Amino acid sequence: MAETTREHATRDVLVVDELRKTVAVGFRRRKVEILKGVTFTVREGDVFGLLGPNGAGKTTTLKTVIGLMRPSSGSIELNVGGLGELGYLPENPYFYDYLSGSEFLGLCGRLFGLRTRPLAGRVAELLRDVGLEDARDVQLRKYSKGMLQRVGIAQALINDPRLVLLDEPMTGLDPVGRVEVKAIIESLRVRGKTVLFNSHILADVAELCTRIAIMRAGVVIWSGPVGDALATGDGDLERFFMQVVTA
Amino acid sequence: MRRIYAIAVNTFRETIRDRVLGVIVLFALGMIIASLWLASISLNQQARMMKDFGLVAVTFFGLVVAVFVAASLVHKEVEKRTVFVLFSKPVGRTEFIWGKFLGLAATMLVVLAGMGLFLFLLTLVVAKQASGWLLVATALIYLQLLVVMAVTVFFSTVSSAILASVLGISVFVAGQLSHNVLSLSRLGNGVVLKAASWIVYVLIPNLSAVDIKPTVVGEASASWASIAAWGGYLVAYIVVVVLAASWVFRRKEF
Repeated sequence: MAETTREHATRDVLVVDELRKTVAVGFRRRKVEILKGVTFTVREGDVFGLLGPNGAGKTTTLKTVIGLMRPSSGSIELNVGGLGELGYLPENPYFYDYLSGSEFLGLCGRLFGLRTRPLAGRVAELLRDVGLEDARDVQLRKYSKGMLQRVGIAQALINDPRLVLLDEPMTGLDPVGRVEVKAIIESLRVRGKTVLFNSHILADVAELCTRIAIMRAGVVIWSGPVGDALATGDGDLERFFMQVVTA
Repeated sequence: MRRIYAIAVNTFRETIRDRVLGVIVLFALGMIIASLWLASISLNQQARMMKDFGLVAVTFFGLVVAVFVAASLVHKEVEKRTVFVLFSKPVGRTEFIWGKFLGLAATMLVVLAGMGLFLFLLTLVVAKQASGWLLVATALIYLQLLVVMAVTVFFSTVSSAILASVLGISVFVAGQLSHNVLSLSRLGNGVVLKAASWIVYVLIPNLSAVDIKPTVVGEASASWASIAAWGGYLVAYIVVVVLAASWVFRRKEF
């Protein structure tokens, strides 16, 4: 039994338990509770979709997991080697205008302590993987939105992380950009990486995810395998989502 | 240490490539050249006018670059959310602030060295005077601007970029006058006035202590011991202010 418990524990890459976050807003510092006890678990190898309407607390949850915000209460158990084994793409990423794609990835690699020679190889490999080889020396201010998203994903992978967190990776992309980003997420899954991402595009979630959690007003109101959600929604994740959030 | 270096190199690249910086430096060189005209209408004071006006131009345009770049340095990273990318990696807030500060200090070094050398060569060619003090004065202007940058970075962690700029310029002006505060305290006998004057004198960096323009134009002679002592004081001031900015930034959430 103890063996089973330990085996199960090692498979949980991220355990978020009763996470609460209160922030002070406005001149009078009015307290607003954004997260009201978020609970979910991401297992090794999952492509996990965190869904919910705007203002549900998805981005705040990711920021708290990363450490950009401190939880008011509750716990976050990250069973990877700290930030060194974690990759993160923020929502609507903005990077340094006057750096080229390769310079920016070089900076990110050096922040993980990668040495010059292996770093150069890693940067070249990632630029090839995200289809930006030809734009390696172009300054980021000249990149399109889709190219920025792809270089954003590349920086999230520079340290070959075990857990990759992507905040709205498909937002604002044209169909070609979406297909490219989906292909990158799919390749991560094939390589055994664990991916947690937020998205409003439910068709992509149904296609990519193994498990999902649906949030509303700062709490998780449903979580489980995407297959169960599709079965309940007659094969339509959008229908299931509407059933859950309007219930 | 390697992370601080990486952030500093990135900041240097980002700021030195900014076209606004190039425009400001061009204006500065234009103003230094304009000192030739002033020199031509001054009677027997050609070299003095060139040095005096040139150093004022170096200080003014250096201040513009220092304040406006330093004010947006941290603020822009937060506003545009590049800090999200950096802090999702094993980067400490203190490393971030030091990296940003040192990167900007390197940019300012290039800017000030360029302006100082230009002024030196202009004086050498036009007025046939090679004054090493001109280069020392430029180095001390650089030190004063590093103090202003540190203070501006500190204010930018607790306020808006515009307010940080205003406060940075205010500290520069107050720093030129801080020795007067001490003189003021000697006028009265009140203990409270004396204590308040001392507190103001300690808090505001004494920038005028390293202003050697009178030496450059031959009106006084600066001592190396005094320059070294006051230079050390300003370096210590910078370290304390940047550490304070790091402490404030550590408490921030994004």
